[in-house]
Order: sequence, then structure tokens, then C-alpha cells
Amino acid sequence: MRLLVLLWSLGPLLWQLRTSLLRPEALVAPLLEGNPWTLANYQLVLSGDPPFWQYLANSTLVGLATTLLTLLLAVPCAYGLQRLRGPMRWGVGLALVAAAMFPTVLLFLALLEIARSFGLANNLLALSLPYTALSLPLAVLLLRAAFADLPGELEDAARLEGLGLGQRLRFVLLPLLGPALASTAILVFLASWNEYAIALTWISRSDLLTLPIAIARIGGGSVFTIPYGAFAAATVLGSLPLMLLVLLAQRSIVSGLTRGAVKG
Amino acid sequence: MSPGFGNGLELRQLGREVGGRCLLDRLDLQVAPGECVALLGPSGCGKSTTLRLVAGLDPASGGQVLLDGVDLTGRSPGERQVAMVFQSYALYPHLSVEGNLELGLKVRGMAPRERQRRIDATLELLQLGELRQRRPAQLSGGQRQRVALARALLRQPRIVLLDEPMSNLDAQLREDLRPELRRLLCGREQPVIYVTHDQQEAVGMADRIALLEAGRLQQVGSPRELYTNPANRFVASFLGRPAINLLAIEPGRQLGLRPEHLRLGDDGAVAARLLRREWWGHQQLLWVDSPWGTLRVLTAPEAPMPPEPRLGWQRRHELWFDPDSGARLAA
Repeated sequence: MRLLVLLWSLGPLLWQLRTSLLRPEALVAPLLEGNPWTLANYQLVLSGDPPFWQYLANSTLVGLATTLLTLLLAVPCAYGLQRLRGPMRWGVGLALVAAAMFPTVLLFLALLEIARSFGLANNLLALSLPYTALSLPLAVLLLRAAFADLPGELEDAARLEGLGLGQRLRFVLLPLLGPALASTAILVFLASWNEYAIALTWISRSDLLTLPIAIARIGGGSVFTIPYGAFAAATVLGSLPLMLLVLLAQRSIVSGLTRGAVKG
Repeated sequence: MSPGFGNGLELRQLGREVGGRCLLDRLDLQVAPGECVALLGPSGCGKSTTLRLVAGLDPASGGQVLLDGVDLTGRSPGERQVAMVFQSYALYPHLSVEGNLELGLKVRGMAPRERQRRIDATLELLQLGELRQRRPAQLSGGQRQRVALARALLRQPRIVLLDEPMSNLDAQLREDLRPELRRLLCGREQPVIYVTHDQQEAVGMADRIALLEAGRLQQVGSPRELYTNPANRFVASFLGRPAINLLAIEPGRQLGLRPEHLRLGDDGAVAARLLRREWWGHQQLLWVDSPWGTLRVLTAPEAPMPPEPRLGWQRRHELWFDPDSGARLAA
């Protein structure tokens, strides 16, 4: 049963891996003569100009900036919302849900105008601004729920001991929110890593492209061929850092959840 | 024990109202230095509200909190030098016992050496030395409670507040801990307020009891005063187990008689019939059918039962109440 679930969720990934390692002819003719396996797709992707790692670096930079900015804004916002009483609390919560569900497609033109008039085009750090704006509602909602799960007496005790707001956050609340912060950070980073449409419209210089755009730009031998193998190879390469990140963060999430319960 | 003027803790017309609902209605209460006053009452009566107002955790909608004549009302919790032990203990789960004690001292900028000296002394006092590296999750309920107490005492507070500090412990441990709590907390120079819904605990811990109901102070006094001379029917029925019998003997007046004051004998006012006997070892509780309904009678465990029992009592034990308002009436 477990194996089945594992296969179900890993299936697409494995298929991608297989596609990236096959010769283009082997994709359409499964019973081809000779060895169907090749590394040519990877060679093609890695030999591009600018080099592939440049796109990885670009995406990482945008992702980190977005995550940092989002958490910096979401933590105080979530804390404040959690402490808020009365109808405002309900209203703001509803507004956040609405914002989180707003279709991004409707924002492109406006965002493009903004980029143009403020000179934000072709700037990776500037790209993290709309990403932050888009991630913020969900991040605030997630963190607010995490704050709500902390017992109120804990903060009362800290207040009685004379801890100011900043000290309470730093010494008491945030250490306890570690797992929630980690999972929120991963979600935000993922969203930024995968984002296509805004990156497409804001970035045009080839050395500043983020990964999804760069992958889409990989061309085939002619207009009539679609380089499936190269797409797959680029996707696999682009997923590796993500998997590494999630694996690393997963360890911190698990250790955060069990902290205090086991021998420390 | 009655407080000298301006000495100790004084609550003056203290009130709290949230969204038009009155949680505490103009409470006046004095706690002398070294005195322990128990705030007693059913849940939602305003006892925890009072504690949070004294601590400064919630803002008061009226009235004042004074310590040695100095108004604390506008001060933040950190400035009040108040220590509080919470029902959940509220230990920081991510810090060791030592870390829990240290945090408050650290943010106040106390030198590491002085910090260590105080922590060592407090851990010694509460016999927690061996547990100093443990996390709260690795401690038993009683140990957690002691750590919470240590954290409260460490700060050398000027007021000590305890919010149902024993309600998460089992009954035996509660009884065992009472004298220790009293030794550690009461009789020092700080006033102590102890919130509980358990009258046994209130009697065991406190010098005086303040009984609250629906945000109003019903009566304050020694356990003996409250028991023998209750201000109203609520006080009379809340204190004392088995509960007081309330008899509608005559129109316009209700008679309260404690179970231990009723007598079953050959002579008495009315005939009674025994329904059931609960034998408790040191006493026995009789459920008795009478013209005024089922009554509780407490007797010695081996008291003989007359063949045709009659119910009687002494005039001096009668407590009269107004049947509508519950107010105490003169005998």
C-alpha cells in the first residue's frame, strides 16, 4: 500500500527523469533498435549561453529575497491579527482569504505598468516585490493559525517577566513557531521558484531570466520540433535544489515538532 | 488579620467590562503583607479576571490597584513586580528548567554571576537541582508546578498570584503540596492571592476567603466567619459539604440548616424516614425524607437509629434567608 502511494506521487517525477535520459527518437518509437539512453539532453541544457547555473542562481536569489521579505512582513502582521479583537479581526481575515484567492492573471497588466513607471524591469530583487505581495496573504493566514495554537498564558508569563514585544517574539514565540515558519518559507519559496507569467513580463535580459522562463526558451532544431528531452532535463536540474531544500527543512520541521518531547 | 492602612495590596472599586458584559463589578479587597487571600467561586465568577487585573494583563475598566499605597493601575505587567503561577504553568517548552528561570533575569540585564547564584538558590529551595537540564515535557505535573513556582519566586516579587495552581494535579498530590506551598509563599512580606474553585483548597491555603459569584464579591472573611455567619444563601450553600439543607418552613422565609446540625432522635419537630445511608468512616451521611423534602443529616458513624426517628435542631443553628433574593434575614 505504501509503495503504491509512493509510486503514485513519484510517478510524474520518474517519468520526467526517464524522458530526460532518452534519445528524442526513442520517445516516439518505444521499440527502437539500439541503445535508447543518452545524456545529450543534459549536455544541450548545460552548454547553453548564459550557462544553466546562472538561471538557477537567479531563481535562488529571487526566491530567497521573496521568502525573507514575506516572513519579515507576515510575522508581525499575523501576530497583530491574532491579538486583534472585534469585527476588524473578522473583516481583515476575510480580506486576506479573498486576496489569497484573487486570480493573478488579472494583475499582469497593472503590474507591468507599475514595473515600467518605477523602472523595476530587468531587476531580480524588484521581481521579489510582486512575489511577496502575492505570497503574503497565505503566509499571514498560515502564521496566524500557528500563533493561535500557542497557549496565551505563555505570552502572559513572558509579559509578567518584563519581556517587551520584541523580546517575547524573539525568545518565546518565534522559537516555538519554528516548524510553522519553515513550512511557510518553503511554500513561499516554491511559489516564487515556479512563477512564470510575471517573470516573463518583467525580465527580458537573457542573463537575468529565472528558471521557468529559461526552460521555456529552450529551442529545438527547427520550429517544428519540440525538445521534450531538453525540457525534461532542465526540469530535473531545476527540481534538484528544491528537493534538497525540502529535505533539509523537513528535518528541522520534524525536530521542531518533537522538541521538548524527547531528550533534548 | 486585617491590613493596616495603605499597607499591602488594596483593590479599590476594581471592575472590568467587555463588550457591555460585566466580568467584575467594583471589587473592594485588601490583602495584608504576608497574608494569603483565596478568591473562591464557581467558574466564570470573576476570580481569574481579578487576578489578571492585579497582574496588569488585562486593562481595568474602573477602579485602582494599590500596593503599599502606590497606584499600579497604569503600569505594565513587567513593571508591577508581580509573579503569577498559571493553571497550565506556562513554562517555555523550548527551554530547559534552567533556561525557563534564566530568561526573565537575562532580559532585565542581570549579570551572569548574580543570575546563576539566584537560580542555584531557588532550585535548591524547591529541590529541583537534578532537573535543571530537563525540558518541561520531560517533567511530571508536580515537578512542572514546582518549576513554575520557582520561576515566580526567583524574581523576588512584591505580589504573588496563583491561578488554580493545583487543578492539574491529582487529589493526593494536591493535599501533599498544600503545606509546602504555604511554607514557600505565605507569611513572607508579599501579599498572596490564591484563585481556586475548590473550597478545601481555599480553606487549606488561605487566611481569608473572598467568595465571588457572577462578578460580585459575596463575602470576605476567615473560613470560620463564612461558614458560621454567611452573608447570604449563596455563601451558605457554596461552603460546606455535604451542602446546607434549605427548608421552606414558613412563607416569606427560608430556613438553612447544616447537615451536622440536624438530629435524628426519639423527640423532635417532625417525623422522618431514613432513605439511604452513606458510610464515610469518620462520619455517616443520612438521606432523610421529611415533610419539607429530602434532607441531608450528618451523624457519628456508629450513631444508633431510633425505631421511629424524629427530626430536630437547635434554634441557635438556624440561618434564615429571603427566598427570592437569598439575602440573610435576622433570626
